[in-house]
Amino acid sequence: MGENSNSVLVIGGGIAGIQASLDLAERGIKVELVEKKPCIGGRMAQLDKTFPTNDCSICILAPKLAECYRHPNITLHTLAEVKEITGKAGNFKAKLLQHARYIKAEECINCGICIEKCPMRVDDEFDVFLRKRRAIYIYFLQGVPSIMAIDPEKCLYLTKDACRICEKVCEREAIDFEQKDSEVNLNVKSIIVATGYEPFDPSPLVNLGYKHLPNVVTGLEFERMICASGPLKGHLIRSSDRKEPKKLAFINCVGSRDMKYNPYCSSVCCMYTTKEAMIAYEHDNSIQSFIFYIDLRAGGKGFREYIERGQKEYGIKYIKGKVAKIIEDDDKNPIIIYEDMNTSKMKKFPVDLVILATSMIPNKDTPELANILGIDLDKNNFFLSNAYLPLDSSKKGIYICGCCRGPMDIPNSVIDASGAAAKAAENAIREG
Amino acid sequence: MEDIKMGVFICHCGTNIGGFLDVPSLVEYAKTLPNVTFATDNLYSCSEVGLSLIKEKIEEHDLNRVIVASCTPRTHEPLFRSICQEAGLNPYLFEMVNIRDQCSWVHMKETEAATEKAKILIEMGVAKALLLQPLEKFQIDINPTALIIGGGIAGMTAALNLANQEFKVILIEKEPELGGLLRYLYKLYPTHDDASKVLEVRNLVENHQKIKVITSTEPVKIEGFIGNYKVSVKRRDGIYDIDTGIIIVATGAQVLKPEGLFGYNGSTIITQLELEQLLKENKINVKNIVMIQCVGARNEERRYCSNICCMTALKNAMLIKELKPDANISIIFRDIQTQGTTYEEYYRKAREKGITFIRYIPEKVPIVKESNIEVYNDYLNQDISIPYDMIVLSTPLIANPDSEDLAKMLKVPLEENHFFLEAHVKLRPVDFATDGIYVCGSAHWPADIPEAISQAYAAASRASTIISKDVLEVEGAIAEVDEDLCVGCGICIKICPYNAISMDDNGIAHVTEASCKGCGLCGATCPEKAITNHHFTTKQILAQILASGGK
Amino acid sequence: MSFEPNILGFLCNWCSYAGADLAGVSRVQYPPNIRVIRVMCSGRVDPVFVIEALATGLDGVIVMGCHLGDCHYIDGNYEEKMKLDLLSKALQLIGLSGRFRLEWVSASEGVRFGQVVSEFTKQIKNEGPSPFSGSKPNQKLKEDLEAIKRTLSDNRLRTLVGRERAITEFGNVYEEIIEFEEYEKIIDDALNSEFLRNKILIKLEKEPLSVKNLSKSLSIESSLILEHIVSLKARNLIDFNRIDGITPYYHALKEAL
Repeated sequence: MGENSNSVLVIGGGIAGIQASLDLAERGIKVELVEKKPCIGGRMAQLDKTFPTNDCSICILAPKLAECYRHPNITLHTLAEVKEITGKAGNFKAKLLQHARYIKAEECINCGICIEKCPMRVDDEFDVFLRKRRAIYIYFLQGVPSIMAIDPEKCLYLTKDACRICEKVCEREAIDFEQKDSEVNLNVKSIIVATGYEPFDPSPLVNLGYKHLPNVVTGLEFERMICASGPLKGHLIRSSDRKEPKKLAFINCVGSRDMKYNPYCSSVCCMYTTKEAMIAYEHDNSIQSFIFYIDLRAGGKGFREYIERGQKEYGIKYIKGKVAKIIEDDDKNPIIIYEDMNTSKMKKFPVDLVILATSMIPNKDTPELANILGIDLDKNNFFLSNAYLPLDSSKKGIYICGCCRGPMDIPNSVIDASGAAAKAAENAIREG
Repeated sequence: MEDIKMGVFICHCGTNIGGFLDVPSLVEYAKTLPNVTFATDNLYSCSEVGLSLIKEKIEEHDLNRVIVASCTPRTHEPLFRSICQEAGLNPYLFEMVNIRDQCSWVHMKETEAATEKAKILIEMGVAKALLLQPLEKFQIDINPTALIIGGGIAGMTAALNLANQEFKVILIEKEPELGGLLRYLYKLYPTHDDASKVLEVRNLVENHQKIKVITSTEPVKIEGFIGNYKVSVKRRDGIYDIDTGIIIVATGAQVLKPEGLFGYNGSTIITQLELEQLLKENKINVKNIVMIQCVGARNEERRYCSNICCMTALKNAMLIKELKPDANISIIFRDIQTQGTTYEEYYRKAREKGITFIRYIPEKVPIVKESNIEVYNDYLNQDISIPYDMIVLSTPLIANPDSEDLAKMLKVPLEENHFFLEAHVKLRPVDFATDGIYVCGSAHWPADIPEAISQAYAAASRASTIISKDVLEVEGAIAEVDEDLCVGCGICIKICPYNAISMDDNGIAHVTEASCKGCGLCGATCPEKAITNHHFTTKQILAQILASGGK
Repeated sequence: MSFEPNILGFLCNWCSYAGADLAGVSRVQYPPNIRVIRVMCSGRVDPVFVIEALATGLDGVIVMGCHLGDCHYIDGNYEEKMKLDLLSKALQLIGLSGRFRLEWVSASEGVRFGQVVSEFTKQIKNEGPSPFSGSKPNQKLKEDLEAIKRTLSDNRLRTLVGRERAITEFGNVYEEIIEFEEYEKIIDDALNSEFLRNKILIKLEKEPLSVKNLSKSLSIESSLILEHIVSLKARNLIDFNRIDGITPYYHALKEAL
């Protein structure tokens, strides 16, 4: 790639990275889109529905994935990571580590025969470990590129030099164990960081019983549980007795607005618990949901009306209360012990299933990436943005968008992404 | 009459189709269908070998219709269409039949029945292909100019970005100067920078050689479509026309004046915006200050939360504390809206600074008495009394009264509170359904400065995807009105989700090719059946129905 | 051999067709009786398509689109719902509504797609073979279906339905919003009277008949028939044929077709 190539590096293939890439590509600028996972789609692909419209998440995302894949100005680097950035605005040099997929991309037709035969059962990360996948797998059913990948840490051949059954059954001879991790070098004018977030693991909050009590799950787990293409095929049952829960409690601010863990507000939980309660009700009208909150934050467009609708049409009850502890009865029904903030009394509240609205936290490798990029982090380890130029990082030519600069919802991530694209384009042209 | 020569390629997809359907019998069957001059099977139609075979056979047999029966058109139609094009065939003369995802994979234990189904599916494909018409993509010239309506922080930011990308920008503002609401602010949250510092962008805008700023100007008429809008604007000395490729709406919002609420009087009981002015002039000389949140918001009349008032109140409270550390400030609120990292931290700092927060419930609103406020506190389950020297009412941003006129001119919708309604709340937050028109800042929804700036960049980005092109290529499979049949009832104009249909001077509906997305709604609705939806014509669909096995 | 119905499905490209593809990828098994026509939006499906499908002898027709609110084309499926609700009512008039269904299936509902198709196939099996298939199609029902088809093709009803959302949500030219229920009633009345008029017209196309003849063969009160005869005559669709004794006979005007 020549010195004068007018291209932009986009790091992260979630909705923000995708939107930024599509805007730039349509703008006539070449995009190098880097995604760590085998498929683009990010967190949004894991969601069942989205507030405040309750749109089916994958329905609205899938056309964008396909567009990204097909766009002549976008080069996708899946299973790739940024390892080194040198140079400055207008002339960055990026070094990527391209992990081996062990699949010939142009040969695989996603027929799934190899999956059937693979003997290795592995926890499925996409389905937040609620089901098993195989060592050869497609990251998610509607994933793009819609081809397999082999998990080198789990594959029998790659770990123990045995098996190779996928190779034998693949009619397309698409398996290629000879592939090696490689290095890709790129020259770009601007960089957009869109690496997203990860959900807070509530296990350290032992009082809430996550992982000890079978009927306490996280919001993202619940999202997969009610999703039609999720591990329960959308039929909501609880794991302890496979019964349909009828009384749900959502606990907001788990791991957020909490000085011990994350002091900040995670921005989206008030809305997403409302949404999850609504979907649960749509699945089964006899479900009643209770949402425990501190402040109900619904400042976005149509958000307040959404919460009102939740109360009126879906019978959702909001309880202003601080949860102290969750225990369970003999039938494994969770019992919430909380302080009612309207009366300041301690109360007990038995339910069938508890959903913890866990906070968004920065990706584990954010500090490392910040180091590679030479940009600053804020005190919470999100990328630091300029107060009145919110898409600017601390370094010229590098822009940040979406949840990697702080918790935000999908519309704001999309706005950020388009905005970062505008800034990256401006930089590419001015520094060109 | 055109001599139709059809080629049918049936894919085994390895064993994915071949393992469950009797592919050779499908080939034989296809050969019996009308106008099929060539039929064969392919191990993998999408492989290099498969694709070159299709190309080769098109040339060898002079095929002018091509059918591939394989997987789903959602993933593979673009590939096969491009192969047809490479072989010199109009890509719209290609038809795809899905015998894998919707046949072999879902009837795995019924080879016979599934093969029969596949035959019918192929027959339906042939029936449609017989009636396929070559279509051309439309080319639309794009005027590489951006018109931005509204010169507040959002409009100025968008203008500057587009100008820096070397586009020509025209920025119109109805007031005599640029700056919008930002001009009236004292300091900004969360950094306490002077608003005037952020307003410095105004100089860059006014002096940018690519930006033409026209103040005291308002649009009065808007015509045209993506790439080619004509906007008539009114200035003091008359009406002028502006030609532009795209339009960005950045007209902002207004602060609600709380006439008749909580004893508002503009002197001791004022709005946050009036407080900003007092702060600017350093005229705060009272001790007990009470702020009331959600004044005129989250009620029957305005159900919405205005998004920015909590932070505004917190900021002004903090600024007063900085100026007068001994001031007693109470904020009476319903829910504190401090989303995200920095705002939540700011809220915490405000509490640390000794600002008092008292929650009220809408059933028992605070009562303003002569020198004190009475408010019911549910936590204590009693009324408490707070003395005041000054009350500051946090009122929402409300839509500009002229939004309605502008929306009508642009033919774009407003939501129930009269803010502009975007194309899609989640994924097209700054686009309108009508192509080439965008929205940002508080015209869309109450936004603070950082939000308005992000949105302005976003709108600029969306706009740049259009005006960076000399010509825009649009889909050929769109709607067309038969002028002889159209009676001008206008129903199609109303129902088109994209404003792609308009009435011409003769009272006949006309489709703007550039705006049509080919959904087909108009064709299914037209009372006179005067609309053809190309590539999904009534004739083609009826032919598919007839072939679908109902005999 | 058991009855294997022929079922036609209209699927929108963005949600239901994607859902059907997902059923494939997930290897969800369902009966092979369904054949699919892909349209970009369910809103493209003219109710007349469904009638035509039934008339050719297909045993059942199902239309599937994005869930309300999810439409790729903003609100095409809302418009479609209006049209197909009317279609259902029309099919009810002639006892065929069990052969038609409208369903919303999203791109993530592969399993549900299979369930919906299985259920609908079962439903159609219960309905039995189409009255229009086989060697002896039901002629009277065929005439009724033709009358329904003409009713739904006719610009009067299409205009009413085309304006339905606009008028019930945004108001007419005088900005009067007509209540949804009230508008429904207007449409229902129009459906019933147009259906009857078309039935009369079809009879009169075959042979000249008197009001009394028509009343007998359609089993409808002669006063109601006379009302429609007057209206059809005013619309220049029929004319006097002859007067037999004191009984006037009417015939259809071919050129009106």
